[in-house]
Amino acid sequence: MLTLASVFAANSSSSNIFLQQIENGITLGAMYALVALGYTLVYGIIELINFAHGDIFMWGTVITFIVVQMMGLNHPLSGFALVGVLLLLIIIGMAVSAFLNAGLERVAYRRLRKAPRLAPLIAAIGASFILETIVQLWRGTNFYAFPDIFPHGGFTIFGARVNYLDIFIVVLAVAMMYGLARFINTTKLGRAMRATAQDPEAAALMGVNINRTISITFLIGGALAGAAAVVYNMYIGQVWYLTGFQLGLIAFTAAVLGGIGNIYGAVFGGFLIGLIQSLAIQFIPGGFQWSLAVVFAVLVLILVFRPSGLLGQQVPDKV
Amino acid sequence: MSATNIRAQLSDSISAVLSNKIAGRELRWYLSGWRLGIILLVVCIILPFVLDGIDPSLVTTSIAIGTYIILALGLNIVVGYAGLLDLGYVAFFVIGSYTVAVGTYGFLQNAQGKSIPIPSFSGQLFWLLIPLAALLACLFGILLGAPTLRLRGDYLAIVTLGFGEIVPIVFQNVPWFFGQFGMSASPPPDVGPITFSDPLNQYPFYYLTLALVVLVILGVTSLRGSSIGRAWIAIREDETAASVAGVNLVRTKLMAFGLGALVGGIGGALNAAFVSSIAPSDFNFNISITILIMIVLGGLGSIPGVIVGAIVLRFVDVYLLGKINDAVHGLPLVSGSGAPLHFLNNVDFNTAKFLIYGLILMFMILLRPQGLIPDVRRKRELQGIGASAEGASAVGLLEREEAGEDEAGGETTTVGAGSDAQGRED
Repeated sequence: MLTLASVFAANSSSSNIFLQQIENGITLGAMYALVALGYTLVYGIIELINFAHGDIFMWGTVITFIVVQMMGLNHPLSGFALVGVLLLLIIIGMAVSAFLNAGLERVAYRRLRKAPRLAPLIAAIGASFILETIVQLWRGTNFYAFPDIFPHGGFTIFGARVNYLDIFIVVLAVAMMYGLARFINTTKLGRAMRATAQDPEAAALMGVNINRTISITFLIGGALAGAAAVVYNMYIGQVWYLTGFQLGLIAFTAAVLGGIGNIYGAVFGGFLIGLIQSLAIQFIPGGFQWSLAVVFAVLVLILVFRPSGLLGQQVPDKV
Repeated sequence: MSATNIRAQLSDSISAVLSNKIAGRELRWYLSGWRLGIILLVVCIILPFVLDGIDPSLVTTSIAIGTYIILALGLNIVVGYAGLLDLGYVAFFVIGSYTVAVGTYGFLQNAQGKSIPIPSFSGQLFWLLIPLAALLACLFGILLGAPTLRLRGDYLAIVTLGFGEIVPIVFQNVPWFFGQFGMSASPPPDVGPITFSDPLNQYPFYYLTLALVVLVILGVTSLRGSSIGRAWIAIREDETAASVAGVNLVRTKLMAFGLGALVGGIGGALNAAFVSSIAPSDFNFNISITILIMIVLGGLGSIPGVIVGAIVLRFVDVYLLGKINDAVHGLPLVSGSGAPLHFLNNVDFNTAKFLIYGLILMFMILLRPQGLIPDVRRKRELQGIGASAEGASAVGLLEREEAGEDEAGGETTTVGAGSDAQGRED
């Protein structure tokens, strides 16, 4: 969480601190929402908390960092170069995370579909450890600084500084969520996903290929995490082997907050957690040290008083 | 010629050895139940003298192992008996450790960073700190459990994880506990000629650890057979059925949580007294997971399994990995700067252990979910066979009838066949 300090400090020239933290919270929240969607999609379809999802995300950050390093980029780009590099990074990030996630499902979770409930969760914890330690052995425990490739600059409204990068992040995230919602609600595969989530056996009897549908769900969840990874690299700028653990927990909290299994809930929860965190950092004394504790406190309170999440009942459209 | 053949031969020869008669009783009789316990206890009492002869640091290693045996047995109450996944068990370890540190340090720090003296548990009062640590941990276990135990299993796992992360953050960030620098704890006071503060003589500490381990083993063994132990197993196997049969779910789960936390507090107290210096950064998610892996490796719910799991993993962790590191880094092929395998010099095998832990978790869950030394009941459950004592559930009876077997011995073969068929379906 120390990493957030540097990001927020860069914006401290703003005159309206409250609005500034709202702006920061929305940007953070867009990122959390992308990761939270991966939790919620997988939970919706096979009722598994994919504990390794945060580390799938972390792999996206590491691989895209290596790509940028190999390309020798170290200054802000513009024009076609910027568009090309961003597209390349997003495609690579999404592909890496998507295939890792689907591979994990194929190797481990699929075999445990009929096992007692906690078995796949324990396997997921094991997978999380494996993914983290491989990066630790390979890259060490250092933080790597992601080069500054996105153009600086922005504008000020009502005393809050809005960077172009923030706008890019929110627009990308919203576009992906819109695409996901269209996919799930209008395509044949999306219908198969909804059917599998509702009743896998009945769906199978109706001719849905369950294994393929679940694989695709993992691919989509992973791809969203991969996109979030690229965004994270540019926004937070630090690549570290344990990034996924904390971010994964925050995103999971977001998914639960909105009502796990519900894609609109995950988006809503992501933005809400982003706002809660950025405001807590600003307005609680010693906020940085407590920000993770605040997130967990929110999680516990939500689970105890409203386990179905904030949107859990209003929107029955479960994926 | 296959592995099964070899295994059958091996078990035949073992059974032949066990049937040898000593003083009118078969060897098997001596190696079962409480008699085996006594034999193992005697071995443990003699053990430090043997270990000291091999490598004196092994005695210290055994003390570190003992602490984790206690922790693993405590977590086993929650995860193994009651089937509640607790990913934040480190929290109770922290609370136990800090209880001893605060109780013996004599100072706290106020918000302005000034040390303020407080009364300490000096002299023989120290011994009160161990039950106090246990009680405080138990209290926090109940406080955490009361609102959260109504949650579904996987939600509970994440909430406990959060608790395990928050507790060290609290000790780091509130005044009084010296922040990230942590506190130091005194070793136990001298009892007559026995001194615990001599770093060259670890024997007293070894026996203190052994005494606590034995105490905890006796405790968890009797809990298992008690009515509350049977209630735990009932809710683990089928919550709805247990609740219909009159088990009070929340109270029973709360008991598991509280007693598990209590044992964790004892482990924490022992740890603080032994390592004598504790800091919030010593306590993290990795510890919770390490303890969980010990249980999964040994066999969920199986006391001997959990003990073996703790011994194996902790021995590898505190002793073997260091030796491997030194040995590999000292090889002529590795040590020189131009040596062909020089890259191995940069590989820290202490880091690699988490890779091994992850692999253990994955492979145990996928290939041998019942653990190395399975609990009989748990094994049946995992194989999807009705788990009642005589295998008399509807499914078990049906399968036995279909296989045309009515001997008790036939049951195991049917179990195997049943699980094979399931495997093929997948």
